[in-house]
This record gives sequence, C-alpha cells and structure tokens, in this order.
Amino acid sequence: MHEAVKILVRGRVQGVGFRPFVFRLAQETGLKGTVQNNMDGVRIVWEGSPETIRSAMKRLVSERPRLSRIDEVTYERAETAGLTDFTILESDRDGKSSLVIPVDSAVCGDCLHEMRDPGNFRYRYPFINCTQCGPRYSIIDALPYDRPYTSMKDFPMCGKCGEEYRDPHNRRHHAQPIACDACGPHVSLIEMDGTVLGQRDEAVRLAVRSLESGMIMAIKGIGGYHLACDAANRASVEKLRQRKNRPERPLAIMAASVDAAKRIAVMSDREESLLRSPEAPIVLLEKSAAYARTLPEALAPGIRTIGVMLPYTPLHHLLFDDGKFSYLVMTSANPSGLPILYEDAPARAYLDGIADRILTHNRPILHAIDDSVVRMSERAPFFLRRSRGYVPDPLPARTNVDGVVALGGQMKNTFALGRRRQIFIGPHLGDLSAVESVEHYEKTLSHLMKWMGIEVKTVAVDMHPFYSTRSVAEKMNKPVVPVQHHHAHLASCMEENKLEGPVFGVILDGTGYGEDGNIWGFEVLYGDASGYRRLAHLRYTPLPGGDRAVLEPWRNAAGMLIGLLGERGRRLAGRLFPDKESSIAVISRMVSMKLNSPLAGTCGRLFDAVSAILGICTESTYDGEAAIRLSEHLGPGNVNAPPYPFVVTEKSGLKELDFKPMIEQITDERLKGVPPEPLIRRFHETIISACCSLVESIAEENPGFGHRVVLSGGSMNNPFLSLRLSESLEARGFSVYTHHLLPSGDGGLCLGQLMIAAAKSGV
Amino acid sequence: MERKVTLACGDGGELAHKLIQQVFVSAFQNQDASRFDSAFLSLESGKIAVTTDSFVVNPLFFPGGNIGKIAVAGTVNDLSVAGSIPLYLTAGFIIEEGFPLEDLRKIVRSLAEEASAAGVRIVAGDTKVVEKGGADGLYINTTGIGVQRAEHAIRPGEMQEGDDVIISGTVGDHGIAILAARGELGLMTDLQSDCTPLNHMIDKVLESGAHVRMMRDPTRGGVATTLVEIAEDFGAAIEISETALPIRNEVMGACDILGFDPLYLANEGKVILIVARNDRQRVLDVLRAFPEGRNAAVIGHITGMGEGRLLLETPLGSRRRLRRLSGMMLPRIC
Ligand SMILES: [Fe+3]
Ligand SMILES: [Mg+2]
Ligand SMILES: [Zn+2]
Ligand SMILES: [Zn+2]
Repeated sequence: MHEAVKILVRGRVQGVGFRPFVFRLAQETGLKGTVQNNMDGVRIVWEGSPETIRSAMKRLVSERPRLSRIDEVTYERAETAGLTDFTILESDRDGKSSLVIPVDSAVCGDCLHEMRDPGNFRYRYPFINCTQCGPRYSIIDALPYDRPYTSMKDFPMCGKCGEEYRDPHNRRHHAQPIACDACGPHVSLIEMDGTVLGQRDEAVRLAVRSLESGMIMAIKGIGGYHLACDAANRASVEKLRQRKNRPERPLAIMAASVDAAKRIAVMSDREESLLRSPEAPIVLLEKSAAYARTLPEALAPGIRTIGVMLPYTPLHHLLFDDGKFSYLVMTSANPSGLPILYEDAPARAYLDGIADRILTHNRPILHAIDDSVVRMSERAPFFLRRSRGYVPDPLPARTNVDGVVALGGQMKNTFALGRRRQIFIGPHLGDLSAVESVEHYEKTLSHLMKWMGIEVKTVAVDMHPFYSTRSVAEKMNKPVVPVQHHHAHLASCMEENKLEGPVFGVILDGTGYGEDGNIWGFEVLYGDASGYRRLAHLRYTPLPGGDRAVLEPWRNAAGMLIGLLGERGRRLAGRLFPDKESSIAVISRMVSMKLNSPLAGTCGRLFDAVSAILGICTESTYDGEAAIRLSEHLGPGNVNAPPYPFVVTEKSGLKELDFKPMIEQITDERLKGVPPEPLIRRFHETIISACCSLVESIAEENPGFGHRVVLSGGSMNNPFLSLRLSESLEARGFSVYTHHLLPSGDGGLCLGQLMIAAAKSGV
Repeated sequence: MERKVTLACGDGGELAHKLIQQVFVSAFQNQDASRFDSAFLSLESGKIAVTTDSFVVNPLFFPGGNIGKIAVAGTVNDLSVAGSIPLYLTAGFIIEEGFPLEDLRKIVRSLAEEASAAGVRIVAGDTKVVEKGGADGLYINTTGIGVQRAEHAIRPGEMQEGDDVIISGTVGDHGIAILAARGELGLMTDLQSDCTPLNHMIDKVLESGAHVRMMRDPTRGGVATTLVEIAEDFGAAIEISETALPIRNEVMGACDILGFDPLYLANEGKVILIVARNDRQRVLDVLRAFPEGRNAAVIGHITGMGEGRLLLETPLGSRRRLRRLSGMMLPRIC
C-alpha cells in the first residue's frame, strides 16, 4: 500500500545543504518523489509506504543538517503518481530575490577532528571549513554565493582542495571558502610596528606564548578584531581595561570547552546547547560558586553573570589546544562609541597603544559583524544582541512588506529590510552618535539592499527629531513614515508572535520620544501595527541636563525627588548625595525654571534613579549600568515581597501612575540604613503590581479589548522583571507574549517600525 | 528732574526734550547731528554696509557690561566681520515707564563710551516710553553704517580644503555670565561677559595681509550654529576638535552642572576666522597682541569642499555631527 504526502519545511532550510540531505534520506529509505526550494521553504513530495514516510519525516527533523533550523513542518496527503525515482528539482523562483545569504557558522566537529589529526593534510590549519561550517556573510562580496564573489577569490584552490570541491559525495562539495595550508589564507603574528614575528603555525604557537605571558593580543576573527588576554590573569585583565578605558563594563570570555565553562558558571542543558550551537553566541551565565577561585572579579565586577562563548573559529581552538589557559577575554576591538574594527589598516592604527601584538590573517573581512549575546530565560532564548550567526537570516512576514525599509533607533541600532514576505534584520550596529558609525551604517544598509535587490518604497524612522537615522532617511528620497518609539516596540513583539488585531502592550523602556514632546518609556498601549492608543503612563519627572542625567543617575534621582517632592525632595537629594549638594541647589532651580530639564516618565530612568538613591550606581560608565547593577542584587528564587504603595489617577482616558510614595519610602529607608536587597525586591514587585493593576483595570473598563498582552522595551532585558510580570499577568487571566527572536530593547525596534510603515503605507 | 522715566518723557514735549538733553546729548556730544530730523553723513566712494540689530538682554547690567555696551559691540562687530569699516551708529531706545533714570544714564554713557572707543559716531537716535508692562525695562535698537574695504577684503570664494578655523578667544563666556548674573540659578561665578567691539583687532588682522576667507561673530546659537551656517552657505566640510577649544574653567564647570554644550553658548566679543593655512601664525600673532584676542586658537580646519557639514572630533577620537542650536535638548540615550 503506497501513499503520497506533500511536505513544506520552513525555517533556515536554504543554502545549508537541505536538499542533498532530503535526497540522501530518500535514497536510504527508498522513498520516491521530489524536493524543491521555493519562496516559502523546501517542498518535498514523498511516495512510499506510510510507515517509511512517517519514519523519514521524523528523521527530517532529528537528522537535519547542522546549519539548518526548522521552524515548521506542514504536510498534506496527495494523490500517488507512481513515481519511480527521487529527484532534486530546480528552484521555482527567479532572479535575485530568490537568493539567500548564508550565515557565519562555528567550525563543525568533523572539521575540528581533521584539524587535530596529524595525518590529515589540514592538520592545524586555522581556516579549515566545509559546507556545514565556516565564514559566510562576513566574506561575501556579491551574490550568488560563489567563491569568485567572496574574499577567497585571491586564493586559487590547489588540486586536493579542488577535488573535494567538485566531488558531489564529499562533505566539501561546493564549500566556497575551502582551503588548505598550500592554497589558502594564513595567519601572521605581528608587532605593533609591523614587524612580523612569525607566520603560519609558528605564529599560532608564538601567540599562545604571548597570551600565556600576560600580553594583550588583538586577534582577527570572523567579523572583526577581538582584544584578548588570559582571563585568569588579573593583571592582564586590569591592563586591558585601563588601555581600553573601560573601567567597569563586563568583559565576555571564551572558554576552552563546555567543561571549562561549567567550572565557572552554572549551566542548564538548554544553555549548553546554545553555547554549542553553530551560531556560537555569547551566552550570559550565572557565575558558579567556584568562579571566584578561578577567575578575577575584574571581568564582570558587581555582576552575578558572566558572558561566555566557546571557540568558534579553528584558530580559536588552536589557541586553546595547548592547554596553556582555559579562558580568554574576548572583547570586540572598537574605539569607544565606534563600530567594531574589521579592516586591517584602521585596526592597526587604533590598536597601537592598546594591544601588544596582533594575530592577524590575510583573508579579508568584507562585512563586520559582532558577536551575538543571548541569555536563556526560563522560557526561551532572550536576545540581547542578534548579530553573528543569526544575521542575515530572514524572518517570515505574514503580509507582503516589499520595499519597506526601517532604519531602527539611535542606540543598539539594527535596521530591517522588507522583501516580499521576508524581513531581513541587519547586524548590530550600536550607537549612531558618531559620524563614523553613521557612515558604517549607511554602507552596511546599502550593501544589504543591493544584495537583496530591494527597491525602497517607504522608509520608517523613529519620531525623535534628532536621531541620526533622520538624515539617512532624507537622503533616500522616498516617503518617510515617522514611528513613535514605543508603538514600534509593541508592533515588533506582536509580529514576532504573529499576533493579529489590537493587543495590550506593556512597554518598559529607556527613553523614547513621545507624541507630546516629552520622553516616554513606561507605557500601557493598546493597538497593533496600524495604530495605537496610549492608555497609561508613568508620571513625568524632570531630567535636569537631558542626556547628562542619563549618564549621571544621581542627577536623574535628584530631578525625580525634586519633581515629586519639591523643596523636601531637594533636601533629601542633598542628604543622599552630600558631595553634590551645591550642584543639586542649581539643579533644583533648573527644574523650577524648566531650563534644559525635559520631562520624562520612563522605566529605565526610574531604575537609574533608584539605583542612585540606594548608592549602587551614581555615575554610569556603560550603557544601562545603573539598572543592571541594581537588579544584580536580586538573588535567585521568588521571595515574596510586598509592593510599595502607588497611586493611579486618570484624566480624559489616560491613566497616570505615580510612584511618589515609593520613591519617598525608598529614600527614607535608605537614609535610615536599611539594607538594599529587600528594598530592591519590593521595588521590582511594585512595578509588576502597578503594571498588572493598570492592564487589569483597563481591561475591565473595556470588555472588548481582550486579554492578550505583549511585553517589550529595554527594561524587559531584566530577567526577573519580565518573568515575574509575565507570571503575574497570566495569573490574572492574560495571555502574555515576549520577544524570543529579536532583542526586547532597541535592537528589535526596526521590526516594529517596518510593520507599522507597511500598515500605514498599505504596501 | 524726576528720578524715574515717566510716560510724559516720551510725548515729544518739554519733559522729553529735557530727557534727551540731559541724558543723551550730554553723553553723545554730537550737537551738529541732533539739530535736524536726519543726519547727513559723508562717506568715501564705494559700497556702503548697513546692519541693524535689536538688543533685549536680561539682566540689563551684568559683569563685563550692560545692554548699552552690547548694543554697540553687536552692531559694530556685525559690520566688521562682514569686511567693512564701521563709521556711524544710530540708537533707538524703548523704555518702560518707571525705569530708573540713573540706570538709563549709565547705559547711555556706556553706549557712548564704547562707540567712541570703537571709533564710530552716533549720528541719530530715538526714544519711546511705553506703559509699565509694555516692555521689560529697556530695549535698544542700533543701526550701523560702514564702508566696504577697498583693500584687504575678505574672499569667501577662495575658501578651500586645508584652511584653518580660528577663534579669537574663549568660548561661551557671555552665555554663562548672563545666566549667572540673573541669579535665579544660584551659579557661583565671577565670570565676565566678553562683550566688546572687535573692529580694531579685525582691522589689524586684515591689514596684516593674511588671506581671510570668512569671518563671523558667534553670538546667539554659539560657535556651533555659526560654523554650521558657514559650512552650509559655502558647502564646506568643517571639522573642529573638542580639545582645541579654548574654554574657561568657570564655563566648563557651569556647563557640567547644567548639561549645556559650550559650543552653543552666546559670545559677544569673539570672532571666528577662516584663514589660509599659511597665514595661521600671522593671524594668531595679531589677535594675541590684543587683550580680547589673548586666548585666540586654531580650533579646526576645512576638510573638503562640497557637502557642507560641521563635525566635532571628541577626545575619544570619534566624530560627531553638529547641528544648529535647537529649542529642545532631548535626550537620545535609550
Ligand atoms: Fe527603546
Ligand atoms: Mg547681530
Ligand atoms: Zn566543517
Ligand atoms: Zn588547498
């Protein structure tokens, strides 16, 4: 008895060897039929016995190629056609739009094995790769993805490599970056003055010795240069911090192996598989009890977590293989506020005075790409930065978004490009304040648009009048749709979760420009991509000095106290920050004169203020420091803590949340010397309880609104806050949706902007 | 005579005559011009330069000057930076009823003194008194007349890559001095406004034969706004360096507290010059020989012609694009 099924596999299934895999599966099971790439994914037709088909379908998922990702498998019964063989059909798509840009991937197990085999001709060759691993996005110059259009074009294959490349049964069949020591790129170790200390394997061995002796090394990787040193060597770590002028910001480390990582961090199975994945992101892990015996506090001072990744290039593995060290600091080499360095000449110029030596190579990096940063929450992976390994994998869109380009935010910038029913999210481009960053942004944007063959129809930008993306948009000469920042956060989370129709959005964020000209960031919205209503927000308090108040949380705290409590607030601020007393006197007058004191109601600034009031962080040395270090005081476990009192008032349908009683009480307790931990827990609970009661009361007043809530905004990076808020809303009967594909913060903003612009322009 | 200005002082009658005689004429000592409804001026042949400006300052008196001094400096400097030689001024006063006569005398005297120090004659004037509340104390309008230089003219058309941007002294003194003088902020500083006419110093720079492409006085909107305007008007890419800016510690300290950028603070006695690189030292030497040019410094240069834009190199080495002063200072850090 034969039957036939039509299967559609969606996800990352193109350009990753999926069709040959299906072909092999068919050959092994004796199934007949066809496999074909099309716009939606891979289409398979199988004919055979029902049992064989069922087992083949299971193997389709369990044995899928390493670089593939299956999001969805759908199938339907079909008429049997009495097929007699299994064939790979040509893609049924045409032209540029069908091309996929593959992602960069960590070296695979097979390649590693060969690299460590003294009998193999690629023994200790630092650029070994195959169809299932190696660089892609970062080395592609033009599409289609073919060796002459990559940075491998200047390395003609030798006979041995060429044989493998042409052999359809070889695992390097059409592996474009294929190379060996005889024909491929090689590494060199250079002094800062350009003196070559060693080449090829000698360079690697010397580099290991340099690191072992405590030197700061610059290492050229997949998407840019890293600064590296022995992470266990406290003096080196401190030297690196000092030279890079980065006093507090946590540094990520690379651990030699999963075992080494487990010695210093607590790791679940899901975290382990994320670490081992081909995307090889930096995973934020809780430091273990043994951490302090192995690694210095200086790596991530005052923080319970440590960012860990595994070696992802063959060269990284070679550095660890001698066993001279188990952990390396691996921080991207970029001057403050500027993009990661990836071109050799500027890198060398900048690194002079920072690095002692450079381990470099002669395979050019064509496109910079930073390491991705992910944290595993109890429910799903949580992206803090989605870049290497994930970009430029498209997200499927439910509607046609062709030609819509969304330029993203000012900080943690990413952009999004719509092509038919696909959305391409660009790499992490960071802070766009510097002109160099904007130039890098424009270059990356136009490259990707060219690759995808995108013709811009509509440009979405943030409503903020001074974001750098504004001038980029003007140059494009197409209709511009300004999008409110938190509306974009709402639409982004909705799109990720494929939600239709209006929903609630609880958006807890840093600072975003509001439609009333004030700074928003603690919002209860209701809407979808086509529009929104603002139903509740945090009471505004002044931010004396504007951006300066963001960099100096004590100032923000003083502004908040003065704004809420007037003269008494000024006195309290003076007691909390005695060394700032004379400044606080001026600040209080600035507030009453409304001089350079924009009004803000944002969750991020609320966290900053409380962090400063509690003396945890009064001046910020890196983005988000005050809020991060505040939440770090929360130990694991759900200790029940009663919320502080808060007040909600309402004016013409807009509720205002007033935390004055809480700020007063926290200040009072702090001045009385109450230890901070219980206060911080109560502070979190107050935010959670206030959000729940706002959403609940609005839902009661508006029975038609339904019970779906999306959570978005930078404050949702706080794992405790987002988890507890989800649980509490669910306990009240709401369905809660969070981000799991893109960051909650501004790294995910572009997706929402794109959906809103598409809805508004009716593409 | 009354100790305060009354409405009747402005009605054209006896009291008005007395006010003019006792306050203005005695200060200006310019009898011949005041006998007619118009002043008759003799000018050399050539092009005439005319500029007008109204002055509204709060407070009227501040360390380093008063509204009278600014009314001269502002207009004289506007003529001078345009490459002309200032010769004559007219002055119109709008006075609020009840304004202390003694203050008016001081202001008028200071206006007269500054004019004579700058070598310009006050040739016509007007006074109006408005009802209490109709004006905030006192406003002054001055119109300046000068002649365009026949020799040593400025040549904006020759602006080119490599030219230096020079400022004649410290940035932001006036802005902070005024803010401090208001007293409302409780800023503790004895900073003086830089308010002063610059025409003699500018004359010497031009007469030195240096190739000066362009001059502007960075008043309202500050150095940044002024340079953005030059950049856009002439299609010049200008880059200045934060570390090269001469800034007084008091100004820096006040900016730290207020979250202000000194590049956007007003100056009333500074000139920005764009000069050929080869003439950099010559210009600096001339400027530094004057007390008001003592802190002159090269703050940047033109990096190319084409797209007009102003960049600031930060101490960290990155560059930030600067725009005109805007009404709002909104945080962008999310
Ligand atoms: Fe945001
Ligand atoms: Mg003027
Ligand atoms: Zn491989
Ligand atoms: Zn080879």
